[in-house]
Amino acid sequence: MRNQLRAEWFKLQRNKTFWMLLLIITGLSALLHYLVIIEWWQMQGTDFDRAGLSELNATSAFTIPLLFNLIVSTLAGFFISHEFSQSGVIKNQIISGSKRSHIFISKYLVFTLGSIVVTILIPLTTGIIEIILLGHGDILTVSSMLYLGRASSLFVLQFLGYTAIIILIAITTEDSGKTIIFSILLTIVMFAFEKLPKPPLINMIYENSIFYQFHEVFKFSMTNDEMLKSILIGFVTFIIITLGGISIFNKKEMK
Amino acid sequence: MNDYILRTSHLTKKYRNDVALEDVNISIKKGEIYGFIGQNGAGKSTMLRIVTGLSFPSNGTIELFGNDHANMLTDAQKRIGAIIESPALFPNMTAYENLEVHRLQRGIPGKGCINKTLELVELNGTGKKKAKNFSLGMKQRLGLAIALLSDPEFLLLDEPTNGLDPMGIVELRELLKKLNREQGLTILISSHILSELHQLASRYGIIHKGRLLEEISAKELDEKCRQHLRIKVDQPTKGATVLESALSTSDYEVMPDGTIKLYSNLDNVRKVSMALTANNLVIEHLSQNGDSLESYFARVVGGEEHA
Repeated sequence: MRNQLRAEWFKLQRNKTFWMLLLIITGLSALLHYLVIIEWWQMQGTDFDRAGLSELNATSAFTIPLLFNLIVSTLAGFFISHEFSQSGVIKNQIISGSKRSHIFISKYLVFTLGSIVVTILIPLTTGIIEIILLGHGDILTVSSMLYLGRASSLFVLQFLGYTAIIILIAITTEDSGKTIIFSILLTIVMFAFEKLPKPPLINMIYENSIFYQFHEVFKFSMTNDEMLKSILIGFVTFIIITLGGISIFNKKEMK
Repeated sequence: MNDYILRTSHLTKKYRNDVALEDVNISIKKGEIYGFIGQNGAGKSTMLRIVTGLSFPSNGTIELFGNDHANMLTDAQKRIGAIIESPALFPNMTAYENLEVHRLQRGIPGKGCINKTLELVELNGTGKKKAKNFSLGMKQRLGLAIALLSDPEFLLLDEPTNGLDPMGIVELRELLKKLNREQGLTILISSHILSELHQLASRYGIIHKGRLLEEISAKELDEKCRQHLRIKVDQPTKGATVLESALSTSDYEVMPDGTIKLYSNLDNVRKVSMALTANNLVIEHLSQNGDSLESYFARVVGGEEHA
């Protein structure tokens, strides 16, 4: 397992798509935060506003599944699916005699780490750095940092379940393009669930999914029950989808 | 002690309505170079994919290094190196980086093995050139380097000469012979060209439409393919004596059924016939026999098709 993790980490470091995404998101995030801080782009009514962190409003753009999916699915397509399709290097990994479950888990962990860095860490850090550099550091109080810490941790937990779904799509489709298309379709369907009227049962399922939690975790105040519910939803989704992924990968015939 | 590196028993692979492998029983001993021959689509790659764990059998068992339990098979796979179908490379990485990924995956300590293996396949001068810019032959050699990196005990090569020029084929053959001779490496090499494996394999398996038709040693194959006159006379012992005295040759064999195989005087059938009849022997059969490697393969495969 340790060997597989080291190999995946090495591959991520040399993955062009990862560096490209890192560069684009850093630039985009820096620009969006700057536009918000100088009040050229006036975003209002966000959860960050309510938490007294309006200078971080640009971060909310990166919490929308439709947007962050583009980043995550692109990375999945060119970091995971690519190994199954064009290069076929997954064959060498299987032949290396490692357990398939270990291979899957290491791929999942490193892919998730890369996704977290690009999707969560970069937007948040660039925002905080710009706030400090542009003289708004006073908004970073203990309570606002506690809010940011709680919201980000719960978001990461939901994100673990989300990356597990995306890697499952990536290993099933074995094609970068298909991975991106199916991931976009999934988020569009979830977006439709959110916006359109739906039967009570579907509504209940949606409200207990990570897609609903992506918004809920940024609420300024959350009760203990709501936090516990969010933790459970994130954790159970992550466990079920990961176990499902391992099971599928274990039975998968490598072409 | 188990001398077998690989043994399969009734190995079968079905894809819905298609049977890719049917009841294949193969055994490869330590130190052998096993040539696995069959036409495209005969089932060679399917067999190799199952042995390497890329695919799963529908029926039958595999024993690798004496292990046949699923968990132990995975462990046993650590002792093999393989190229299946085409070399699997990271196109945006250099040869060194490609090997580094595999070194990490296999947990091989120290980076010394990378340069050593690159030197072995003569790719040590490629520097920062990315694998996507390699020629087909260089890609094949890099694939071989990946397979050899962990000093495997058993090497499986699926059509490794694809894309290699004639010099490359000779070099690969010499390298494999050297590894087999010096390190005792057992090799399973598949090809659809019998002559390509000639001079290399010590045993052959001929597969057609998923069924293993024949296993034959290199010596037996050479004998079958060697041109000779097949002579059947009423007194085989006397016949042999006549051949020695009248034709001054000892290049013959008397088979258990009394048939004489004469490997000389192939262009002089009339002289042979006259020598035998002059010594009052009755010739029951006299014909020129022996196949080329290709015609032998075609006969085995064709025989199966007409059966």
